[in-house]
Amino acid sequence: MSDVKRPRYSAWKLLTQGFSKKPWPKVWEHHELQSSYDVVIIGGGVHGLATAYYLARNHGITNVAVLEKFYIGSGGSGRNTAIVRSNYLTPEGSRFYDRSVKLYEHLAQDLNFNVMFEQRGHMTLAHSDSSLRTMRWRAEVNKLEGINSEVITPSEIKKLAPFLDITDHPRYPIHGALWHPPGGIIRHDAVVWGYARAAAALGTHIHQDTELTAIDVDSGRVIGVQTSRGPIATRVVINCTAGWASLISAMAGVTLPITTRPLQAAVTEPVKKFLHPVIVSGSLHTYVSQTSRGELVFGASVDPFASYSTRGSLEFTTGLATHVLELMPAISNMRLLRQWAGLCDMTPDFGPIIGPTPADGFYVDVGWGTYGFKAGPVAGESVADMIANGQPGRLIEPFGLDRFEKGTLTAEKGAAAVGH
Amino acid sequence: MSQHRLGARPGEVIDRDQPVEFKWNGKTVRGFEGDTIASALAANGVRVFSRSFKYHRPRGILTATYHDPNVIVQVGEDPNVRGAHQRIEAGMDVRSQNTWPSLGFDVKTVNRLVGRFLSPGFYYKTFIRPQSLWPTYAKVLSRFAAGGDVDPNHAPANFDHRYAHVDVLVAGGGPAGMAAAIAAADGGASVMLVEEEHDLGGHLRYGNSQDLEDLRELKTSVMTRPNIEVLTDSVVSGRFDHNWVSVVQRTIGHVEERLIQARVGALVVAAGTLERPYVFEGNDLPGVMLSTAVRRLINLHAVKPGDRAVVMTSNELGDAAITDLESAGVDVTKVLDARQGETVVKVSGGRRVKTVADSSGNTHRADLLVMAAGWTTPTSLLNMAGDRPKYSPEAARYLPLQLPDNVMVTGGMAGSGSTNELVDHGSATGAEAARRTKGEEPQPVPKLRPGIQPELYRSSTHGFVDYSEDVTSKDLISAAREGYDSMELAKRYTTVGMGPVQGKVEAVNAVAIHGEAVDNSLLETATTTWRPPYAPIRLGTLAGRKYEPVRYSAIQDWHEAYGYTPILAGQWVRPDHYGDPAAEVNAVRNGVGIIDVSPLGKIDLRGTDVPRLLEFVYVNKWSRLDVGKVRYGVMCAEDGVIMDDGVTGRLADDHYMMTTTSSGAGSVWNWLDDWLQTGFPSWDVRMTAVTDGWTSINVAGPRSRELVSRLTDIDLHPGSFGYMEVRTGTVAGIPGCFVWRIGFTGELSYEIHSPANHGLELWEALLRAGHDLGVTPFGLEAQRIMRLEKGHFIVGQDTDGLSQAHGFGVDWAIKMDKPDFAGKPELRFQAEHGEYPRLVAIQTLDPEVVPDEACQIISETGGIIGRVTSSRMSPTLGRSIALAQVEHTSAAPGTRINIRLTDGKTVTASVLQQHAHFDPDGSRLRA
Repeated sequence: MSDVKRPRYSAWKLLTQGFSKKPWPKVWEHHELQSSYDVVIIGGGVHGLATAYYLARNHGITNVAVLEKFYIGSGGSGRNTAIVRSNYLTPEGSRFYDRSVKLYEHLAQDLNFNVMFEQRGHMTLAHSDSSLRTMRWRAEVNKLEGINSEVITPSEIKKLAPFLDITDHPRYPIHGALWHPPGGIIRHDAVVWGYARAAAALGTHIHQDTELTAIDVDSGRVIGVQTSRGPIATRVVINCTAGWASLISAMAGVTLPITTRPLQAAVTEPVKKFLHPVIVSGSLHTYVSQTSRGELVFGASVDPFASYSTRGSLEFTTGLATHVLELMPAISNMRLLRQWAGLCDMTPDFGPIIGPTPADGFYVDVGWGTYGFKAGPVAGESVADMIANGQPGRLIEPFGLDRFEKGTLTAEKGAAAVGH
Repeated sequence: MSQHRLGARPGEVIDRDQPVEFKWNGKTVRGFEGDTIASALAANGVRVFSRSFKYHRPRGILTATYHDPNVIVQVGEDPNVRGAHQRIEAGMDVRSQNTWPSLGFDVKTVNRLVGRFLSPGFYYKTFIRPQSLWPTYAKVLSRFAAGGDVDPNHAPANFDHRYAHVDVLVAGGGPAGMAAAIAAADGGASVMLVEEEHDLGGHLRYGNSQDLEDLRELKTSVMTRPNIEVLTDSVVSGRFDHNWVSVVQRTIGHVEERLIQARVGALVVAAGTLERPYVFEGNDLPGVMLSTAVRRLINLHAVKPGDRAVVMTSNELGDAAITDLESAGVDVTKVLDARQGETVVKVSGGRRVKTVADSSGNTHRADLLVMAAGWTTPTSLLNMAGDRPKYSPEAARYLPLQLPDNVMVTGGMAGSGSTNELVDHGSATGAEAARRTKGEEPQPVPKLRPGIQPELYRSSTHGFVDYSEDVTSKDLISAAREGYDSMELAKRYTTVGMGPVQGKVEAVNAVAIHGEAVDNSLLETATTTWRPPYAPIRLGTLAGRKYEPVRYSAIQDWHEAYGYTPILAGQWVRPDHYGDPAAEVNAVRNGVGIIDVSPLGKIDLRGTDVPRLLEFVYVNKWSRLDVGKVRYGVMCAEDGVIMDDGVTGRLADDHYMMTTTSSGAGSVWNWLDDWLQTGFPSWDVRMTAVTDGWTSINVAGPRSRELVSRLTDIDLHPGSFGYMEVRTGTVAGIPGCFVWRIGFTGELSYEIHSPANHGLELWEALLRAGHDLGVTPFGLEAQRIMRLEKGHFIVGQDTDGLSQAHGFGVDWAIKMDKPDFAGKPELRFQAEHGEYPRLVAIQTLDPEVVPDEACQIISETGGIIGRVTSSRMSPTLGRSIALAQVEHTSAAPGTRINIRLTDGKTVTASVLQQHAHFDPDGSRLRA
């Protein structure tokens, strides 16, 4: 049973509501800012909201505020390409994301909100011997972690995605692929709203249009925050702000080894469904999926410079189109409809930073780079555990901030730079 | 002539002497040259053009422009064609989209009956349990995807790119845009005038006789100016940083479409305004049209849009539509003047308008409802230039607020006025734009009046706001009340503005109606973000001609003739082998072979500071490299990870040749250039990328000296040309070659580099001269086997993104006593910690088992402690050999390790003393 105390969503409810004249109940309420909270979460994206939800559901910690500068899901959570997978290169990465996939699989039931997770399979193409070797590497690691992941041949690829050009193509031939059946796509906004609605039902205060302006630290420990709507006293602050993570951490005097870079994406007009799995090409810096509405959603690697700009560039779309048509020449008449960018908080080893910081009571859940969305549920669950238990659990232990001093970096960087 | 086609109109764009036949849903129909798909079909009495996305409601012409959401059709293999813009061509196969089994009878119309349950976001609230049924639901939902079809066998047409540099680019060829272009041209600027429609003129094209007279005059004036380039049926799709502007040029004959990328001195945006619909019950029935749509149909295409019309007008252009309707013989049965408070409340009918109910409680019989409810400013390009347009309640639309100096606005976007006023404003703007491109101090241009327009968004009833997405005003209001109460959340939740028209028609209505539910001042505070592109662009157009080059060496023709098996290595196509790699290995080990290694990255370095550069980018010492010597070097990135390796030779006092791995050539070049530009700008180093300039052939094997000596006068005696030395001279009669002695294969070998245009000549000369020695060409595979036998690692295969130099057996090269070099601090850290993985040579206990590369090495407890990085059957040793990365605790010689094969079985291997499986002391290559 769900813990959500509001009227439940169901086909029956949809039917009765259809006949009733009354509006649907509110998904979340607006609240006045309290003068103090047990926990203040900065950032109303999937990480912040999931953390709030698991704090309340798993640990009964409900005197929690989520502060969001704009509207919930306005950052990376609403700008990513909504791909979920767990076929990572390292054992610790695979393990971690596998937990996330498992949580995603039951999220609609947990939250009583259909997040529309479609496990259509995730295919990473190998265009050369060396990338085929990397695919095998990932498959072998994944198998050892119990994850469904295997290397497949061009003829198997053609069956799964008939639009791919597997002919003896001169520049980017398709030698094989890493095939990961549990991977897929999801409605990213629905994940944000589902967590927000469920957390709000359990007592979390979600404050939109509320900007953090300062973090009050006294003798090395957090005592409160200042916001555009007034001060809040608190002993626990969690930074879940992705692209803005280093700026927010600096407010608590914590320096993070993070560079913020834009990552661009685009979507086409809808056409009738022709592409079922998610297709990724590392060599072509491209990933593509077709939504249930019929649009193709494209993403790329991060831009080659640091910036907080979320404007799209022409170089991106021209390059993207060239790469996509290398893979699927038959879709040259599809029209690109809209492009946008999100911000990625890149760490030196492409691994996240989760855990305590030198400022007592100030925790980070950042450094997600291009993988943040798919990690939302497991990060929320793990951070909530850490706050409740006072120390990081097994899944997030490898991702502490101190690894950059100890020299125990994670090895995700060894995989192709585009891993969606 | 059909009953729907009118007699000659003064401004018509059809050529009645040129009939054109095409197909509509399989039936042949006839129109005239100059007709759009929509106008030709309307002239044939077609009223329903599509079915809506969600409820499959019949839809007819709404705007009669490119942005008409209801006339999007499939043309042959081209989905989502804008039927109200695309002109007909003979034989065109036009089909309606999103209909099954037919446009007239659509099964999914049943959705209309259950519409009350399909509230926005209904799918988030159901299909939740049981979880097992969700994949089935998902499949059903995806059948409702809108849009046309793509064909997997579609052969892409030709697309093109062009780059342009223009002083002034004018977006929009209406009266103000034309005037701006003329004034800018007269100010000495080169001008590009871009018009989305098929001809210049804007709203004058479908205007009265005075408008047509004004248009002729302006157009003649534009066309007689040689410094104005006019592009019609073209659209400015984006404005990016530094006025980098993209233009899509359609209908140009020899190519499908062209993308122009222009660096523009000043961008003048004169895109006009878009008429917006009014929201009321039944506002999507076929026969409900904008006033501009009926004027286009009547005046441009001589099509009678209906027989009996009710017109709701609120402005002069709406009034003009009444005149046009009457002149077309349409019975205007009722005029509702919204300026006097008269509005439409409801339109009824099954498949088209039958009755119209007004705000006075009267009902009128009519088959056409014409609405003139106000304007939307298409601020897309302004948003991209950083503007946040501001809502003007008196004009009932958004107006530009603040723009950078190199972007200006004129025409209807900037305000309202008579043709003369618009032309005057356009002229002033164009002249000022030309001034600014000359670097003169910007002067303000007098402003146009905002214009007066009553705020008309929604009647007392509910109707459609977004036609492409089937979003109603009721949906928007209920979403806001449910908690999706900011415009952005409402947009995401209801999908208003997400369809093919991207909010161009409905943007202001959506904000206004959402505002009804949350805050009536929303129009003033909300900003609508128009993301690029302004109009959708085909992927083919964006890609242009595809430039994904493949590279071949100068010897490629020979390789092909000799029956090579190609392999793609980075951008290079190379011979993998010529039939039998093991035989190629044996030939080299026992005699002599030659391999084409031209893809080896080569960077020519000259200048007095080259030694300082080498000293900095390599981890080893370079200061004392004498002329005639070569040295192997390892490069690390700043994180101490191995980035590349290769040899560099000193050809003359201040002349060095650096080689890189084939795949690393580009990144090493960038790396060096980055340091020289940002770190050491004063150094005297000149760098030239010369990979393609030299053909490189490695002659390897115990008899290589004998072979090379037959072709050169360079003294090859070991005493005068030793291992790791370089000589320059003539080889096979080719002057200007350089030759060095190195040994990736582990054999005595000479790498000969000749000017690339002589490459094939050298290759063939070696084959001829070595015929009696049994000289054998060998490919990449044989080379890879031999280097593995010798224990040489390949960067990127045996190393990875975290491979720290200390673990790779190159500790001897790392010179921590150098003052500074890239990666030094990190390497010092690594040396102190020492817990990095090691590269080791391993051999399986069963010599027949060759593990796949990337197989994992497993500890006793099942954890991963390493992986096989290179693995082959060795023809020389007759057994399986491999390199592997293992944790430092398992790296000691003699350690037994377990490898998990891809089939799940395990095989045991033993760690060797050194990396080399063969000739560990290197006596062969020093021979």
